[in-house]
Amino acid sequence: MANTELRKEIDRALDNGTLRGALGKFAREYPVARDKAYTGYDFEALREKVKEYKSYSRDHLDEVVDEFERRMVGRGVKVFRAPTGDAANEYVKKVAAANNVKKVIKSKSMASEEILMNEALREAGMEVQETDLGEFIIALNHEHPSHMVLPAIHLTKEQVADLFSDYTSHKNDPVIAELVKTARSVMRAKFLEADMGISGANIAVAETGTLVMISNEGNARLTSTLPRVHIYIVGLEKFIKNFREISPILKTLPRNGTGQNITTYVSMFSGPTEAYLTDEEKGEKEFHVVILDNGRRALSKNEDFKEMFQCVRCAACLNVCPAFQFLGGHVFGGHAYTGGIGTLLTAFLTSKERGRDIQNLCLQCGRCAEVCAGKLDIHGMILKLRKNFGDEGMPFVHKFILDVVSNRRLFHSMLRVASVGQLPVSRGKPTIRHLPLFLSGMTEGRSLPTVAPKPFRDIFPGITQNVASPRGVIALYTGCLLDFVYPGIAEAVVKNLNMAGYRVALPETQSCCGAPANYMGDRANAKKTAELNIRGLEAEKYDYVVSACPTCTHALREYPELLEGADKELITRAETLAAKTFDFSKLLHMLGGIPGKGSGAPLRITYHDSCHMKRTMRVFEEQREILRGQTGVELTEMKDCDQCCGFAGSYSIKYPEVSGPILEMKINNIVAATPEAVVVDCPGCMMQIRGGLDARDIGIAVKHTAEVLAERN
Amino acid sequence: MQDKGLYDSFAAKIASVNGECYRAADRKELLTLITEALQKRKAAKVALFPSPLLTEAGVPAALTEGGYEVIIDDLRRRIPQAAVGITEAQWGIAELGTLVQYAPEVDNRLCSTLVDTHIALLKSSAILPELDDALAAIASTGALPNYVGFITGPSRSSDIERVLTVGVHGPIELVVIVVDEGGR
Repeated sequence: MANTELRKEIDRALDNGTLRGALGKFAREYPVARDKAYTGYDFEALREKVKEYKSYSRDHLDEVVDEFERRMVGRGVKVFRAPTGDAANEYVKKVAAANNVKKVIKSKSMASEEILMNEALREAGMEVQETDLGEFIIALNHEHPSHMVLPAIHLTKEQVADLFSDYTSHKNDPVIAELVKTARSVMRAKFLEADMGISGANIAVAETGTLVMISNEGNARLTSTLPRVHIYIVGLEKFIKNFREISPILKTLPRNGTGQNITTYVSMFSGPTEAYLTDEEKGEKEFHVVILDNGRRALSKNEDFKEMFQCVRCAACLNVCPAFQFLGGHVFGGHAYTGGIGTLLTAFLTSKERGRDIQNLCLQCGRCAEVCAGKLDIHGMILKLRKNFGDEGMPFVHKFILDVVSNRRLFHSMLRVASVGQLPVSRGKPTIRHLPLFLSGMTEGRSLPTVAPKPFRDIFPGITQNVASPRGVIALYTGCLLDFVYPGIAEAVVKNLNMAGYRVALPETQSCCGAPANYMGDRANAKKTAELNIRGLEAEKYDYVVSACPTCTHALREYPELLEGADKELITRAETLAAKTFDFSKLLHMLGGIPGKGSGAPLRITYHDSCHMKRTMRVFEEQREILRGQTGVELTEMKDCDQCCGFAGSYSIKYPEVSGPILEMKINNIVAATPEAVVVDCPGCMMQIRGGLDARDIGIAVKHTAEVLAERN
Repeated sequence: MQDKGLYDSFAAKIASVNGECYRAADRKELLTLITEALQKRKAAKVALFPSPLLTEAGVPAALTEGGYEVIIDDLRRRIPQAAVGITEAQWGIAELGTLVQYAPEVDNRLCSTLVDTHIALLKSSAILPELDDALAAIASTGALPNYVGFITGPSRSSDIERVLTVGVHGPIELVVIVVDEGGR
């Protein structure tokens, strides 16, 4: 099974200290450099423009490509439209043969990586030289790029020195400046000898018939200046209509990619430039443009995935991705494209099977979409991809878990059995090694909580709600974790809402929210649980529905979309439920909070934002306001407070080896803030973080916002 | 130059990307600055792409008189001997410290790329405030020159261990000399 292979790759990547060191360093420095580069610029406005311009071209593909071709041909450029990668490679070989080309130099082209052009040209007997420093290094190491902008980020200077020593047959010291000098001198000869150059392009402008390429090293300028023949290869997604539309792309791509205000070089070609055809004779060079389809046109018409045309390949989505940071692109990627967008590109352009495997590595934390220059819903599209693959069949164990959690009676009885059976393994602490929900025993770096001796559904009838003249009634949706693991949070929610003047009801026939099934691509089980909850919660009877788990809240609010195509009565009920459902902190804030300011006891806290709460529901100020409103509570923000804790629902079960290091980083940031308690709004995060602190014997409490309030009032 | 602020911003941005920027009030200062730059680099051979400004200021003749070998033709063969290349840029962008060159001619690109040090001359009136001004200026040429290049600092790479290293395949150093109007 391919998944076993992926698992091995994950293990190797995590053992690779270099990769983690370099990627980790970059992950720390990147956000700072990026923020600085955007000072004085309105990123949201810029990416809105990128989206507008690139989506226009996608939707008017023939118009822009025809206009581009007309302009280029008018200036003597030969344009070839390649329906497939093979067709592109054949064309390039034909041009090479016609011009008696023996030596080829290349500056960076992802499209040529996609279609394995180097391999094709070498098979045809040509010498092919990558000139980008990173590409040159990985070619010496017989590898594919591990990052779309920084291809050799996984290698140390020592490894590069060894590769250079082998290549040049003299000793290279591991001094970066010296290694760069070696590359400069080795490559200088290659530039001067080459018969033909091949480059990619970042932008193709229809109006003026212009190809725009950006680079830092100068290799792209030399590749396009020295040889007497040049071929550009440009994907259909690179087109824009008007010249001025370059602006927002030039303003975002370098800032997003490397935190530069602009790259060292931007080159714009609008026709065949002059070259030395021989050592003495100057003249117009042979200039070709290959426009690559290779599945792109079909993608432009795919309603679920056509946003991919808005991508400018800045790689910001890799740079902020917690999973990418630990795995790198050789694991989290295909042979050409890596990381979040790379998962989508791989699935559609190079290997569906590889795409199917690596989409699992996405945590669904959504940081990628926040920084995306083309305003792509990257994680949303990965989820759609997951669902599409899920429909085609999923691994047995995952399927079994999902069947269990979506069968309320079976799941609940298993949990009750577990709450008794767990005692011998709980080390006398409220944590255990195994929870039946998590059938695999992967608990490295994290202790899992015990199942509560009494689920909340059995506690609720005994709670006395003293609300003199209620402002209304709120239905409590507990979700699995509150019901069976953290009933204390649910009790706190009831107490707080009572203080805010509302009575709380607990509709009995509620089940798993369906998020685990949904995130694992099992749409059938997700729909089944959605229907159960819509009918069971009867939102029509209540003023609001509250949940204290942002993942559940989000799932409930998404039911109308999930059930699209179901009968009208169900959809209407789903819409009612969605409209009335709020997360605890959001709802309490809407209702004006609780009247009391609490006991006043001093409490130093830090706050961890859950991905769903912060990025999906955009709730991050309300809970802070509520907490700060309590006398004696002192909130100190930790570094990267909204970085994923690594729980990500089923992710920590499927890939604990990736989730572990992400958790470690979170724990370190919490510890550095020196709080007495870290406050969360998500029981999943609570489980993950509490487990991480417990496994390290760190005495920092983890509390839900509702618990902090309930304890002090 | 109308706006001293533009020059200051332009020069500061060039410095921030490891480039050097100087200002010449007249032809004499220009020649002095070029000669100083050459002496500092102990350059004996200089590749040069003639432009109206360079020619009017008498740069090639002055350099030859000063004992430098000035290479202006047969560049494909001879440029590897030259450590320094001199060209004139079309526009400057104050927002970014960027030079805009119209360089469909191969020799212009060789002089600005295949050398260790690129000395770029720019008229002070050619400094535009922002990137969008430069794009508008380029677009207003109607049919674009077959090659338009932006240059922002010397070539660089962070491909090994994310450590910024200046001087990869293109120039290792960039020296910009902004020449005031009437500097004849």
